[in-house]
Amino acid sequence: MAAIKTENLEKELRSLIAEIIEVEEEKITLDASFVEDLGMDSMMALEILAAIEKKYKLRVPEEHLTKITNLKQVLNTTKEFLGKK
Amino acid sequence: MKLNIEDIKQILPQREPFLFIDEVLEFEEGKKVVAIKNITGKEDFFKGHFPGNPIMPGVLIIEAMAQAAIILASTILPKEEGKKYIYYLAKSNIRFLKPVFPKAKLKLVVEPLKIISGAGIVKTEAYIEDEIVARGEISFGRKEE
Repeated sequence: MAAIKTENLEKELRSLIAEIIEVEEEKITLDASFVEDLGMDSMMALEILAAIEKKYKLRVPEEHLTKITNLKQVLNTTKEFLGKK
Repeated sequence: MKLNIEDIKQILPQREPFLFIDEVLEFEEGKKVVAIKNITGKEDFFKGHFPGNPIMPGVLIIEAMAQAAIILASTILPKEEGKKYIYYLAKSNIRFLKPVFPKAKLKLVVEPLKIISGAGIVKTEAYIEDEIVARGEISFGRKEE
């Protein structure tokens, strides 16, 4: 598949996460903690993982749920699995 | 595989008048559940929703979908001997397409989108006579009692 530019991927993931956590996109900086700064709960983390799987047609195992902590981590995890496709 | 009401009661903690599954027509482990709730018209909620114009409340269709989701989850989530679990609804995103009136068989179809050890997201649809009346997604969690 064609490589997705990191910049675009970051934008897409930010928008997807903003919708689930229900916060403004500007607040989702690369390092803002989803739980402490943005009020994410464990169900929202699962929803983010499921939404990423659906959008990019990936299968991300459960143990990667712990990496849904900030945008940087989500970006790296998504890139890792896109690379495995 | 089919399940009767006794099998269903082994899985679901809900009881009358809040048990919204009467029968399971298809029970495909980890993949799909097709369940039936018979809407007789004698249910208490029809007295008030609405007087002289009985319509099944949408929130109760969601409840029936959620109960079918528990049956699906019970086939996937690991169980430990002697432990009891409670399931809780975390989020529902359901679109209602047609009203549900008394004297109907409400068919509920549930398939997994993502299920992990203590929680899940499922895709669900409700039908009356093969006509879709509601569809959407439900997220739920599970805790030890």
